[in-house]
Amino acid sequence: MTSDSTVPGAVLLVGPTRRDGPGARRSRPLGTRAQRRLLAWLFVAPLLIVNLLVITGPGLASVFYSFTDWDGLSTPAFVGLANYAEMLTSSAVLGALGHNLLWTLFFLVVPMSMGLVGAFLLSRLRRGQAFFRVLYFIPYVLATVVSAAVWRQILDPESGIGSVVPFLRDVNFLGNPDLALGSVAFVNNWQWWGFLLVIFLAAMRTVEPSLYEAARLDGAGPVREFWHITLPSIRPTFIFLGLMTVIWSFLVFDYIYVLTQGGPAGSTDVLSTVLYREAFQNQRHGYASAVAMLLAAISAAAVLGYLALRRRLRWDI
Amino acid sequence: MRITKRALISVSFVATASLALAGCVSSGGGSNNNNSDGGTGEVTYWGAFYAPTTEEAFQEIFVDGFNAESDASVDMEVKELTTIGQLTDTAVSAGQAPDIVYSDGPTSASDFARADRTLPLGEYAEQYGWEDKFLPWAYELSTVDGEVSSVPASYGSMALFYNTEVFKEHGWTPPTTLAEFETIAKEADEAGMVPIGGGNAGYQGMSEWLITSVFNAAVGPEKLYDALTGEASFTDPEFVSAIELIQSWIDKGWLAGGSESYFTTDDTANVTGLANGTTAMYMTGTWTFNSLGEVFDDPSQWGWAPLPSLSDAVEPGVYPLAIGTQLSVSADAADPAAAASFIDYVAGDVDRALSYTARTGENPPPLQMSADQFPEDVDERTVQLYTDIPESTNVGYATWTFFPPKTNAYLISEFDKVVTGDATAEEYLAGMQDAFDKEFDAGTTLVPFTPSSRAGQ
Repeated sequence: MTSDSTVPGAVLLVGPTRRDGPGARRSRPLGTRAQRRLLAWLFVAPLLIVNLLVITGPGLASVFYSFTDWDGLSTPAFVGLANYAEMLTSSAVLGALGHNLLWTLFFLVVPMSMGLVGAFLLSRLRRGQAFFRVLYFIPYVLATVVSAAVWRQILDPESGIGSVVPFLRDVNFLGNPDLALGSVAFVNNWQWWGFLLVIFLAAMRTVEPSLYEAARLDGAGPVREFWHITLPSIRPTFIFLGLMTVIWSFLVFDYIYVLTQGGPAGSTDVLSTVLYREAFQNQRHGYASAVAMLLAAISAAAVLGYLALRRRLRWDI
Repeated sequence: MRITKRALISVSFVATASLALAGCVSSGGGSNNNNSDGGTGEVTYWGAFYAPTTEEAFQEIFVDGFNAESDASVDMEVKELTTIGQLTDTAVSAGQAPDIVYSDGPTSASDFARADRTLPLGEYAEQYGWEDKFLPWAYELSTVDGEVSSVPASYGSMALFYNTEVFKEHGWTPPTTLAEFETIAKEADEAGMVPIGGGNAGYQGMSEWLITSVFNAAVGPEKLYDALTGEASFTDPEFVSAIELIQSWIDKGWLAGGSESYFTTDDTANVTGLANGTTAMYMTGTWTFNSLGEVFDDPSQWGWAPLPSLSDAVEPGVYPLAIGTQLSVSADAADPAAAASFIDYVAGDVDRALSYTARTGENPPPLQMSADQFPEDVDERTVQLYTDIPESTNVGYATWTFFPPKTNAYLISEFDKVVTGDATAEEYLAGMQDAFDKEFDAGTTLVPFTPSSRAGQ
């Protein structure tokens, strides 16, 4: 798309403009303001329609159903706040919420750290950087079901790593309630951290090299360069990925469902697996909608928290 | 990957029904669909199959057969075996179901009927004589408020599976009592085997296969009947003892090799364990008939026996009856008569159904049939099951067939805590009774058949 200078930010939509020659007039990009607005809406309309159909509509429907007792077949019966009251006192939901918080903490610390440090080290490589970028990114493009199935075999105490490493023979990573959540998080991190690394690396490449040169002249080492130049320079990317990590951590489902289905005994249950089980196994769509509202509220809180910080600290993103 | 789900049963039933239809065509017997009473429109049908060969057999015997014989026609769309139940539930909920609605048992079929998502089939039941064709207990389960609302497309039971060579090698014979069962388990454990197959990896519902077996073999059909009709409680000592029996097997490391292994062992591992001699016994459903031949290098080596008695109160050899697939007609079906005609073609003819069983190993529909009706190429172990069951007076109740849905969901999801020791038998069963009470009070429980010992009382 090309910008015309008549109206700041306006978009040239139709035909060429006469710019050359004496007396040439700067033409408006498109007829009247109303026409321009109409065209803008036409461009946005497909996205809005899709959004209404697959996001806003079902979202509003979920709000409605969260106040009903509905099995997915019969007419929903209004039950007021009963689903919310049950949800907030349910040991299954509260346990799952706790797992979500642990999951969030893990993914805010482990893969973010690995991605940052890995990207910083890679950024200092003069040769082979592309190779490592591809290498670390490959897990991210693998289908979740495939990589989860492979890891399920690897973690199998009989045929997997336990059959090769003697001291792991009796360790059942996915069968032990104390190890299962961490094991699933480990597998998910295996796929995830390479993605963060590539994004951080791309952000680091935009940092002005003269900053590093000046720092070196002042005697700064790699660690100080990282803390005082790299990290502040990529703050927008860092904060964005941190925010998305929080949101994604509460939406996590696939790896847990494939590897443990929330078991053993709920030890890997998160809100989304509880929601799924209530909706599609127990046929409690109303109650599941209330759980979905809780998930949405948490994500909204994360975004609002970010916006508040942004305003208070005057971030430019 | 080997399918381990209850969906497998359902699919088997669907496939069975389809094959039955085809068999009818080939034999020239069975229902005459070539008339306008059977409809003239196009029928949409979702099928799901254990293997491509099963799908091929269903297509040929049922779909192609029906299309050749009938004025109506069937268009089959193949779905994943493991997800067809959920796909159907969602489609029914959205009003987008195929003309013939699949259910994984009478419970969900009755839910569809109560919500008016499927049609009453009374007139078709009369037209095709379903009451006379089907075994009474299965026909009764297919009714809602006294009217037929679905048709059972396959049935089976739980049984004890073993490797005949392994048993011969150790001098074991199929156990008939708890003492014999635990003696074999102890010796198998000492021999380094997994004594009792089990687990729920990949499909949490596998737990109810175990619970069904133990409830029927340790609590017994009569007490189960009482509990299902509200005359007894799941918290009664018989049920507590049954769950504690399972816990004792877990504590000894007999069941699936122990608590942790339970959660990482799937159906495939159990059946493979039988085949390679690392698992001694496995109580699972007779839907396994269709896959054992592929897992065992020598298909003649697998054997099955009726469940042993696991308490003094129960006679050995109980058969928990199970329906895996129910077929209904969608309320939105364009030509309900044609849909009902196809259902009858799939599930309503013995010769056709058994020809499908012979070709695929799938369980047949619960039709009135005798041993001499089985084709020679049906595996003799299958024939034995389906000739034993009608003659047996010791038949019980599979949880997924006779338990109401929320009770059944509880039974599966909370059993994990029993395995990990986070819930006692009493706590687990108290929750089950709570769930049952709600459904019983709401009138959504199914009517189980009367135990044989009480028939006529």
